[in-house]
Amino acid sequence: MSGPRRGLTSSSPRAGYQSPGPRGTPIELTSGSLLASRNVAKRFGSVVALRSVDLVVEPGEIHALLGANGAGKSTLVKILSGVHRQDSGEITVHGGPVDLRRPGDAQGAGLATVFQDPALIPDLTVGQNLRLTDVPEESVRAWLDRMGLSSLDFDALARELPLPVLRLLDLARALVREPSLLMLDEITAALPADQAEQVFAVMDEWKERGRSVLFITHRLGEVLRMCDRATVLRDGRHVAVFAPRDVGESGLVEAMLGEVAREVREAQHTPTVESSSPVVLETVEIRSKEQVNGVSLSLRAGEVLGIAALEGQGQDRLFELLSGDRRPDSGEILVNGEPLNARSPFDAVSRGVVLVPSDRLQALLPKRPIRENLGMPLYSRISRWFSIAADEGARVDNAVERLSIDTRAARQAGKLSGGNQQKVVVGRWLAAGFRVLLCFDPTRGIDVGTKQQIYELLRELAADGAAILIYTSELAEIPLVCDRVLVFYGGQVVGEQPAATATEESLLTAAHGIVEKGAV
Amino acid sequence: MTVIGERSRIRKMDWRRWLRRHGWTVAAWALLLALIGFYATLIPRFGAFQISSIAKNSLPLVYLSVAQAVIVIAGGIDLSVGAMLVLTNSIAAQLMVGQSFPITLIIALGVILLAAGINGGVGWIISISRVPDIVVTLATSFILSGVALLVLPSPGGGTSEGFRAMFTGSATGSGTNFWPSLVVMAIPVGLLAFWMRRSRTGLSLYATGSDPTAAYLSAVRTARAKVVSYAVGGAFAALGGLSALAITGSGESRLSTGAGFTLRSVAAIVLGGVALTGGVGSVVGAAAAGIVLFTLSPVLSAMGIDPNTAQVIQGALIVVVMMVAGIVEVRRQRSE
Amino acid sequence: MTAETRLGLDDEDQARWALRLAEHPLIVLATVLVVLVLVTGVIEPRYLSVSGIRNTVLLAAPLGIMAGAQTILMLTGGIDLSVGMIATAAAYVAGNQSPNGAALAIALGLLVGVAAGTVNGIGVGVFRVNPLIMTLAMSAILLGLFTALSFTVLQGSTTVAPFIKTLGGGSFWGNRIPYNAVVWTGVSVLIVYGLRQTGLGRLLYAVGDNSVAVRLAGIRIWQVHIAAYAIAGLLAALAGILLAGRTGAVDLQLAVNFLLPSVAAAVIGGTSIFGGVGTYGGTIFGALILGVLATMLTFLDAGQAIQQVVYGVIVLGLAWLYARVTGIG
Repeated sequence: MSGPRRGLTSSSPRAGYQSPGPRGTPIELTSGSLLASRNVAKRFGSVVALRSVDLVVEPGEIHALLGANGAGKSTLVKILSGVHRQDSGEITVHGGPVDLRRPGDAQGAGLATVFQDPALIPDLTVGQNLRLTDVPEESVRAWLDRMGLSSLDFDALARELPLPVLRLLDLARALVREPSLLMLDEITAALPADQAEQVFAVMDEWKERGRSVLFITHRLGEVLRMCDRATVLRDGRHVAVFAPRDVGESGLVEAMLGEVAREVREAQHTPTVESSSPVVLETVEIRSKEQVNGVSLSLRAGEVLGIAALEGQGQDRLFELLSGDRRPDSGEILVNGEPLNARSPFDAVSRGVVLVPSDRLQALLPKRPIRENLGMPLYSRISRWFSIAADEGARVDNAVERLSIDTRAARQAGKLSGGNQQKVVVGRWLAAGFRVLLCFDPTRGIDVGTKQQIYELLRELAADGAAILIYTSELAEIPLVCDRVLVFYGGQVVGEQPAATATEESLLTAAHGIVEKGAV
Repeated sequence: MTVIGERSRIRKMDWRRWLRRHGWTVAAWALLLALIGFYATLIPRFGAFQISSIAKNSLPLVYLSVAQAVIVIAGGIDLSVGAMLVLTNSIAAQLMVGQSFPITLIIALGVILLAAGINGGVGWIISISRVPDIVVTLATSFILSGVALLVLPSPGGGTSEGFRAMFTGSATGSGTNFWPSLVVMAIPVGLLAFWMRRSRTGLSLYATGSDPTAAYLSAVRTARAKVVSYAVGGAFAALGGLSALAITGSGESRLSTGAGFTLRSVAAIVLGGVALTGGVGSVVGAAAAGIVLFTLSPVLSAMGIDPNTAQVIQGALIVVVMMVAGIVEVRRQRSE
Repeated sequence: MTAETRLGLDDEDQARWALRLAEHPLIVLATVLVVLVLVTGVIEPRYLSVSGIRNTVLLAAPLGIMAGAQTILMLTGGIDLSVGMIATAAAYVAGNQSPNGAALAIALGLLVGVAAGTVNGIGVGVFRVNPLIMTLAMSAILLGLFTALSFTVLQGSTTVAPFIKTLGGGSFWGNRIPYNAVVWTGVSVLIVYGLRQTGLGRLLYAVGDNSVAVRLAGIRIWQVHIAAYAIAGLLAALAGILLAGRTGAVDLQLAVNFLLPSVAAAVIGGTSIFGGVGTYGGTIFGALILGVLATMLTFLDAGQAIQQVVYGVIVLGLAWLYARVTGIG
């Protein structure tokens, strides 16, 4: 960013403070602020989630909380919800300091949160869930009626209900408590368009009542449409507060990603795949329950194929099928022309198809040292059980070097930073060798520098002849690493764009556009 | 499965859904009836005496199964319930000897409260110490059975006739009146089941076992729920010890009895549809499974099978049921 | 704090001394052991002699081997509540076959252990039965089986071959070093080497740490489980044979009292019941500590009741201490 951000003018007459500088100089408060948090800091072991964050929400406003993955938004919301306790910093509500030790305290202070994973007990019915949290059924029904869910069966188990319904239910439950500040964490992700509209209507009504909404979302269009002001977090600090309409989408993005973003986004790469390259991985009309509805794709050696999709469109299931974790209901998966027929990941890995999951909880051995994490797949065959593989050292060293992993950073892999953990997960396959690399959102929640390294590595691997299939939620970064992109929606491939011409907008439109036109 | 559908249609589907939800419990009761029916064909005379025998002799195991069920539903496990049974049995036997019926009732109440307090304390230790429940309750099983030995070094003690009659239907512990046994089984278990499904604290047990994160985010006091589950479990283990006293008329503090009971309580709850992972199952199903497990012994012996082979069969049966349960669970997760 | 720790969200800051201790648990254990030995010596001065120590080692060796079985399983996140019965079963078979020679007797006894362990492993690994239930059921099955057999086929198998008696109860070098300690040492070397320097060892730790990750990395977990339980069965059988050798006779109550101590020894030694953390070295100390403890309580003429209570309190206390200091369960 070049120079201090201006543009704090908002239509609200209550605005009366200075804009912060790029590094988050303190914000002065007016006593009328609904919520004010100052110098909030939080670390988890060696990982610093929040360095020093100020957030101020005025009454009667919809305030966006923005930031790239890993910037600290979720942590801040959890602190404001009483789930974590901040290490330092103070929080005041209506001018009075509050100590939020547990979620009950936050509720008592008039703060209600709807989390991304609805806080409903799966094995209890809707009615029991409400009784558990002392929320009267009729009031919830009233709100559900307004949101178009008037016939929700209160005797259904929460685990039987689809995610959008659970989110709206959680929202209704929060509204019944009449909170001063309603916090919505990515509520519109994976929500069909018409139900997203219901949420927006509720948000507007809340604002009209003089209360406020803290809105966390990735969808910048929504921010521009709904929000009066936005606070942007980066690397655990607040870096800007402004009215979204004043800066536009590009301004928001720049604030979130900073200067480096421009570099990353403008980098070019040379294509390494030719039409004569052999097809390494191919699927023929594979289906799985309702999540994958007939997907046919092919991947060549030396190619990086991207999958662009909104959340919850079936890409998780697609990767499960490709990695051998689950069998398709119908259709075929072919590796080098031969059917895969994987009954477990073992079969896929033996054919050289390996998975880098996005959830590091699924991939990392947190209590084991880095080298053991890297060498693990070498022991998949019983013949290798009786000693340590002779080449383990060399292979692990090679992976460590190519990824610049600092093996002295921590004794246990679980204590590494997110970026380093992801390097270890990728490095494992470098050490073991592979033919097809399936990457599911590999750069989620990772700092920009590490992202760069991983993307460069993927390009190098492609140049060496590997075939890479990558799903990423960072649509803007797809052109950096992919040769072409498939747009995925509703469990199907709905479009294909060459990476050279694909932009975040074109991809988002393709992924979104179907939602607006078609039936839900 | 229409969850967002018209109200009128839902009424018709109620039975099917109820059956699906409570299928396992229903199956346990059906199995019990089938087993008893089978038993009746095996022996020359099946009448009130046999029913009374089954009803009263299965009480300790039933109480323990219910105790374990409450604890496991809330997400924990208690390997010391058998030891608690032995301890309460010993204490009651020592205190009640020679006392009148009303006094023994008061002592019984005191013992129940004591057990609830002790086990609640154990639950509290589990909450704050971060030591896993298996390890803590393993250690406390040592402690409790050791104390039991101190209280009652050798079998002895006694209780009042009225107390015996309350549990067994007769002052001598054996007779044909099975109603007291059924009542003393049904009422506490029934009240517990109702409380667990309808009250906030009861529901918090299910919540804590089903999804502790979601429960915490919903402002449920999960630590408190854990402690309450262990306290209630302790109370029911005490009922087990008291019923054992009523049946035999004297106390017995040998360790082996305790350990065997604990193992069977875990087997019983699984047979009764309680998921070891928590949040799923009913105490009513666990109680039914407790009776089933107990009844296997007289049935097998009526079939002419000697007790040791019977034990092998029981063990193998449990393994088979567990394997089936395991496969069912895996299938269920896959289809989600 | 409770819910946070359940969610695994907060790491507590540890005092520097606690941190250092956490990194060198063996030193803590060695200190505890030495303290206990000295305290016992105070209570009974004749303890601090070769024969006193020898008796403790004699007592601890079978326990240590059984605890080795538990350690291996706990590393994978499992547990084996059937080790007591497997030990008894192996002892019975060894006794029964003793007339045919000690070598055959031992071999068959060990085979019984491997067989039972493999069945456990299949139940846990292939059918996903909870280890608690699977091994409990196995224990019940073995009890019934061998009780029945003890009246028929195995009648009169209550004594073991002289070689086994020497191995289990005898000592050499002027009655100073027990043979079973030698066996224990050999087993220890194998276990420590196996856990540190073999692929299977790595996988045991990995499966206990994050079995989802291991599976997704293309390893067939059921194989690891079967191997772990089979090895545990083998060790339990060995312990049972040594026990029979020491007492000279076989009966159904032989190893029942070793089950809970075997878990306790592993826990005291720092093995987490959640899996992925622990060493056999710690378990060795755990077994020795429990051995000295049992001896001390005998000298105090404490009676079985008090012994049990003290036992339980100490196990709980040490487990709590471990959880506080290392921040894990």
